[in-house]
Amino acid sequence: MKTLEVTAKTVEEALEEGIKELGVKKNNVRVEIINEPSQGLLKFLSSKNAKIKLTVLKEPEEYVKEFLEKLLHIIQLNGKVIVERENDGDLHFNISGKDLGLLIGKRGNTLNALQYLLNVILHRQFALIEGRVIVDIENYREKRKITLEQLAKNLASKVMRTKKEVVLEPMTPQERRIIHIALKNNKHVVTYSHGDDPHRKVIISPR
Amino acid sequence: MKELVELIAKSLVDYPEQVDVKQVEGEHSIILELRVAPDDMGKVIGKQGRIAKAIRTVVNAAAVKDKKRVMVEIVQ
Repeated sequence: MKTLEVTAKTVEEALEEGIKELGVKKNNVRVEIINEPSQGLLKFLSSKNAKIKLTVLKEPEEYVKEFLEKLLHIIQLNGKVIVERENDGDLHFNISGKDLGLLIGKRGNTLNALQYLLNVILHRQFALIEGRVIVDIENYREKRKITLEQLAKNLASKVMRTKKEVVLEPMTPQERRIIHIALKNNKHVVTYSHGDDPHRKVIISPR
Repeated sequence: MKELVELIAKSLVDYPEQVDVKQVEGEHSIILELRVAPDDMGKVIGKQGRIAKAIRTVVNAAAVKDKKRVMVEIVQ
């Protein structure tokens, strides 16, 4: 566990400085007071600073996993939260279990909202973290990727046949990326995005 | 439902101890009134209400099981 020793005039000041340096919230550290501040009879003379030791209780991965477990418990779903380690700097979680469809929602709507919230929460709780949270449920994202790749190919053929551009429905950045990559090497069509999130759409047009 | 909004809101704000959710139940709907510290209002609403919208999406999904409409209102 990450620890840090801080010295300041008072215990409160040391705590404020310490959590700022660690980039975490007060409720995520254990505080041990090593030295209480003391003042000599004549203030400022022979006064001693406060010294404390902070220990971070929960690391980001553990924090998010616990959050998801609490959420599943509250909505009475039996799901197992699995941490998937991939060396890309992001935190990957997969939830497996029965009847989790309601957490995925129409075209991943709910799953995407949940993932968005987790990202906001992660960066609020851990100010220094750089990675993102990626959540999947029963490998939905992998299946969706295959569907989108297939859709991209079908629409590209249509564009080639009709010579007219096709506008797709709004998608998240990750989903749009899948479409762009799927058609990157297609010599007959180009893809680009138009509009602002969350209404940004991919357009496939003849080259 | 109340616990769900509490869990999410407390994780988003600077003053979790000031998060308060009141559940008002009707016949076909539930209203959840979320109160946070004045400084935390923006933290549960987000730019263009994006965070509030995400909270509502997740809560509504959870409410499907109860077959009731749930409305999350952020009140001052």
